[in-house]
Amino acid sequence: MEQEIDISRQKKDLFRLLSFLKKYKVLLFFAFVFLFLATACEMYGPILVKRFLDDHLMKQYFPKDTILMLFSVYVVLMIGKIILSYLQLLMFQQIAFKVVQDIRMKVYEHVHSLAFSFFDKTPIGSIVSRITNDTEAIKDFYVSVLATFIQQIVFLVGIIIAMYSLDVKLASICLGLVFIVYFVILTYRKKSFPFFMETRGQLSNLNAKLNEHLQGMSIIQAFNQQKRLQSEFEHVNESHYQAGVKTIRLDSLFLRPATDLIYTIGIMFVLSFFGIASFSNPVEIGTVYAFVSYLERFFEPITQMMMKLSLLQQAVVSSARVFDLMDEEQKAPVQEGSNSPKIVEGSIDFKNVSFAYDGVHNVIHDLSFSVLPGQSVAFVGHTGSGKSTIMNLLLRFYDVKDGEIRIDDHKLSSFQESELRSNIGLVLQDPYLFVGDIKGNISMYNDAISENDMKEAAELVKANEFIEKLPNGYDEVVVERGSTLSSGQRQLITFARTIAAKPTILILDEATANIDSETEEAIQTALTAMRKGRTTVIIAHRLSTIQDVDCIYVLHKGRIVESGNHQELLAKQGLYYNMYLLQNKGSLQLAE
Amino acid sequence: MSVFKDLLWFFKQEKRSYIWGISLLIIVALLELLPPKVIGYVIDEMIKKSLSGKTLFFWVGLIFVNGLLLYLFRFLWRRLIFGSSLKLAKQLRDNLYHHFTKMSPTFYQKNRIGDLMAHATNDVQAVRETAGAGILTFVDSIILGGSVLIMMAVSISWKLTLISLLPLPIMAILTQYYGKLLHQRFHLAQEAFSELNNKVQESMSGLKVIRSLGQAKEDIGAFKNQADIVVKNNMKVARIDALFDPTIMLVVSISYLISIVYGSRLVISDDITIGQLITFVTYLGILIWPMLAIGWLFNIVERGRASYDRIRSLLSIEADIKDSDQALQKLDMGVIHYAIDSFTYNEESNFKLSDIHFRVKEGQTIGIVGKTGQGKTTLLKLLLREYDVNQGRISVGDMNIKNVSLHALREHIGYVPQEHFLFSSTVKENIAFSLINATDEDVYKASEIANIHNDILDFPEGYKTVVGERGVSLSGGQKQRISIARSLIKNPNILILDDCLSAVDAKTEEKILRSLKDERDGKTTFITSHRMSAVMHSDLILVLDEGKIIQRGKHEDLVQIDGWYKEMFERQQLEELVQQGGR
Repeated sequence: MEQEIDISRQKKDLFRLLSFLKKYKVLLFFAFVFLFLATACEMYGPILVKRFLDDHLMKQYFPKDTILMLFSVYVVLMIGKIILSYLQLLMFQQIAFKVVQDIRMKVYEHVHSLAFSFFDKTPIGSIVSRITNDTEAIKDFYVSVLATFIQQIVFLVGIIIAMYSLDVKLASICLGLVFIVYFVILTYRKKSFPFFMETRGQLSNLNAKLNEHLQGMSIIQAFNQQKRLQSEFEHVNESHYQAGVKTIRLDSLFLRPATDLIYTIGIMFVLSFFGIASFSNPVEIGTVYAFVSYLERFFEPITQMMMKLSLLQQAVVSSARVFDLMDEEQKAPVQEGSNSPKIVEGSIDFKNVSFAYDGVHNVIHDLSFSVLPGQSVAFVGHTGSGKSTIMNLLLRFYDVKDGEIRIDDHKLSSFQESELRSNIGLVLQDPYLFVGDIKGNISMYNDAISENDMKEAAELVKANEFIEKLPNGYDEVVVERGSTLSSGQRQLITFARTIAAKPTILILDEATANIDSETEEAIQTALTAMRKGRTTVIIAHRLSTIQDVDCIYVLHKGRIVESGNHQELLAKQGLYYNMYLLQNKGSLQLAE
Repeated sequence: MSVFKDLLWFFKQEKRSYIWGISLLIIVALLELLPPKVIGYVIDEMIKKSLSGKTLFFWVGLIFVNGLLLYLFRFLWRRLIFGSSLKLAKQLRDNLYHHFTKMSPTFYQKNRIGDLMAHATNDVQAVRETAGAGILTFVDSIILGGSVLIMMAVSISWKLTLISLLPLPIMAILTQYYGKLLHQRFHLAQEAFSELNNKVQESMSGLKVIRSLGQAKEDIGAFKNQADIVVKNNMKVARIDALFDPTIMLVVSISYLISIVYGSRLVISDDITIGQLITFVTYLGILIWPMLAIGWLFNIVERGRASYDRIRSLLSIEADIKDSDQALQKLDMGVIHYAIDSFTYNEESNFKLSDIHFRVKEGQTIGIVGKTGQGKTTLLKLLLREYDVNQGRISVGDMNIKNVSLHALREHIGYVPQEHFLFSSTVKENIAFSLINATDEDVYKASEIANIHNDILDFPEGYKTVVGERGVSLSGGQKQRISIARSLIKNPNILILDDCLSAVDAKTEEKILRSLKDERDGKTTFITSHRMSAVMHSDLILVLDEGKIIQRGKHEDLVQIDGWYKEMFERQQLEELVQQGGR
C-alpha cells in the first residue's frame, strides 16, 4: 500500500541517508577536488576563445608564440577536463556503491537479529524487496540524484564565476535568470508532486486490477461478468490516461520548453546589453561570444536536475521502507544473566508451560514433562494440538508466556545462543537444502566440522551410500532447494547435517509426506542410528515410527491427555488407540 | 524502423494529432536555426558599427517572437505526440484486456499471469515510447540535424562544415562501441543483483534452519560476498558509463578547436565574417542533440519492435472455447444428460474420463466422490464448458450445450470452485457479483443459507468490509462460505459445489446442506466432496476412480456393499471421532 510520507519524515530520512557518507570523507574530498578542477577547465575554455577573438582575430594580429601558447593551453585544458571529469564521475559512483553496501549490510545483520514473531507476520517477499530492491533505489539516489546535483551545482557556480570575470553588470542580470529558473522549478515541484503520486497511484491501481481479474478470470467467465468488469477496467484505464495527460501538460509548461524560453530571454539581454554598449564604444566581440556560449550551457544542469526529480521521489519512498526495517525492534530472545552454563547431559524439563503466538490465545496450556539424558520421547496429536510449538519453545525461537523450561536443570534463558545452537540439533519436516554442493550442505560453513567429521556423519545416517554413487560424490552440485535429488535423499542429507554438529539433544519434526517404502526404511534406520545416546524429542505424525520410544505424550488442544509407551497406550484403548487404528488398515475393533 | 510501419494503423487513426505534431516539430526545428543567425548578424553589425537602435530592437524583437513561438509550438507538439502515445498505450491495454476475457482456462494454464502482466505493462510501455519519443527522435535527428547541416554548409561555408565535422563520426562509432560494452556489463550486473536477490530469498525462507544451526554470522558473511560482487560489477558498468560524457566532450572540443582555427583562416581571407564564425560555432552546439538522438532512436525502435511483436502474437491467439456460429441465445432448463464416451485434456495428458453416462432430473442433487485426482472437478467443468467434450455430449433438456451461447448456458449456473477466490471489494460486492443491483435483502438471504451472515456482521465494517488480497484476511472456511453465497444470489437452476466445504467443520457443513435443500426445492445441485457426509443425502452418488464411474447409487445402498464408498465412509467416521479427542 502506498503511504503518504510527510515532509518532516522525508527530511529526517534525507539526513539519515547523508549521514552514511561520513565514513568516506577522504574519498569525497578528492572527488570534490577533481570536480572543481574539471569545472574550472571547462569554464576557462570560452575565455580562451574570447581572448583569441578579441586580441587576435579582430585585430588581425597573430604573433606566433602567443597563438601557439593559446592553442596549447586550450589543448591542455581540454585533456585535463576530460581526465578529471572521468575521474570525478567514477569517484562519486564508487562512493555511492560503497555507501549502499554499508546500508545493505546493516539491514541484513539487523534482520538476522529479529524474532520469529516478526517473520510470522511479515511476508518474506516484502523483507527481500527491502533488502534488495529498495536499497537499489537508494543507490540510484546517491548516484543519479545526489552526485548529479552536486556536479551540476558546481558547474552552475563555475559558469556564474566565469561570467562575473567577464562583465559584472551582465553577469548580475544573468544571475537574475537563475532566480527565475529556480522559481519555475519550485512551482513545478509543488504542482507536480500530487500529479506524480496520482499517476503512480493510478498505475498501481491499474496493474492490481488487471492482475486480480486475470487470477479470477474463470470466475468472471463462469458468472458472465466479462462486460461489467471490462468497463470497470476501462474506467481505471481512462483515469490513468487522464492523469498522464495532465502530467504531460504540466511537464510541457514547466520543463524543457520553459527553460528554453528563459534561455531566449537571456540571449535577448546579452544582445541588447552589448548592442546598446556598442553605440558608444567598440565592443569586445569575444566577450559576446563567451556569454552566448556560457548561456548555452547554463540551462543544461537545470534540465538535468529536473529529469532526476522523479528518481528522488522514488528514493524517498524506498528509504522510508528500508529505515522502517532497520528500526524494527522485535528482537529474538537473548541470553539472560551472565552465567553461560554448558549443556552436558541433555535432560529437559518443561514445568507448567503455556504459550500463545499472538500473546492471547494459548496454543499450549500448563504443559509439564521431563526427559532424562539419553531418553527418547515423542509427541503426537492432530494439527494444531501444539506439537511444533514445543519444538519452537525448546529451541528458544520464542519465549514462554508462563512456566519454565530447563536444560540440565539450568533455565533455558540462561544459555548463550551459541551453546544452544551447537548442542541442540534440529531436523525439520521439510528438508531445506541450500545452493552449493553436498559437502557444504552437510558442514554448512562450520569450521568446527572437518571433512572427516562430515563424512562420518554421512556414514552414520547411511547417506554416503547414494552420495558416493553420484558423479561428483560429495562435491555434487546442489541446485535451488535440491530439486535434482529425491525427497528421501534430501532428508538423509539434512540428517547428516544435523548429526555432523554432534548435538547432545536432538529434535525431530517428522515429515508427513508419503514416501515409498524403500526410502522410508532408509530414513527409519538413519533415525534410529541418530537417536543412540542422545536425548531425543520427536514430533511424530506416523505412529509406526515411534513404537520404541521411552515415552509418548498424546496432545489434544494444547494439553497432554495420555502418556506412556506404545504398548501401554494401546492397552488403554483411548485416543492413541484410535489414532493408531486410523493409520492402519488393520482389523482391530473400533473402540466406542 | 519497420515498427513505424506496423504502427501505421494507429498513426492513421490519430492522423490529425500526428500530422500537426510532426509539422510543428519540423517548424520548431527550423525556428531553432534563427537565433544563432541573428546573433551572427548583430555581431557583424556591431563590428561594422552599423548597428542602430532600430535594427537592434528589430533583431532582439525577432528573437523574442521566435522564442514565444517556439514555446507555444513545443508545448503543442508535446501535447499532441506524447498525448497520442498515451492513447496508444490505453488502447493496447483495453484490447489486451478484452482479449483476455475471451481466453479459456487452457490459455491460463499455458501462460503464467506474471508473463501476461509483463506484456500488459512493460511491452505496452515500450510501444508507447516508440509512438512518442520514437517519433520525436526520428524527426528531430533527420530534420533538425539535416537543416542545421544545410544551413552551415550553404549559408556559411561548406568547407568549414566538412572539416570541423570530421571528428563527429568518430564519436558515433565510439559511443556505439561503448553502448555494446555497456550492454554486456550491464547484463552481468543485473545477474549479480538477481543472484543477490535469490540468496536473500533462500536465506529468509530457510531462516529456521540457519538459526537452529547457529549459522547467522556465516550467512551474513556469504551475503557480504555476494553484495561485494554486485558492487564490483556495478563499478565495471560505471567505468564504461563514465566514458560517455568525456568522450562526447572530447570530440566536441576538437570540433570546436578545428572550427575556430580553420574558421579564423576563412575570416582572414574574407571568406566569412566573424559573425558567421560565431553563428557556425553556435550551430555546432545545436548539432549535438540530433547526433545523440540517433543512438537513442535505434534503442527505442528495437525495444518497441520486440514488444509490439509480442503483443500482436498474444492478441492473435484464438479462443478455443467459443460460441458456434448458429449458437442459440437462450436455453431452457431440463434434464441434464451426460453422455461422454471419452474426454482428455490434450494428446500429452495421461488423464482421461471414460464412459460417463448419467442423467440428473430437475430438482435432483447429485454427489460425486472419489480419490484425489482430476475426475470430479473435470466432470463439473465440462458442464460449465471450461473445456469442451470431444467424444460425446452433455445436454440440458435435450439441447447439446455446445449449441447454445456460453452466456445463455452460464446464466443458469451458480458455480463454487475449489479455489475460493474473492475480489478486492466489499463483502456485499463479492456476494452480489453476478447481480450487481441486488438488494441488501437478497444478499442477506444468500449469506444466511451459506451460514456466513452472522460472521459478516462481526466483521469490522460488516458487509462494507473490504476483503480479497488488499483487504482483511479471512479464514479458509469464511472464504468458502462467501463463495457459496455468491453462487446463490441469482438462485440459479443449476448449482455446482466443487469441494467447497472442505474448510468448514462437520456441523456447519450439515447446516449449510440442510438450508440448501430447503431453499432449492426443484432446482438441480451438483456437489463433490472428500467427505461422504456431504453427499450422504444426494439423490444419486457417483464414485469416480481413474476417470471412470466405479460405483453409483444412493447412500443407503452403497454402505451395504463392500467397496471404496463404504471404506471411506467408515474411516471418516473414525477420523471425526479422533478429531474430537474421543476415546
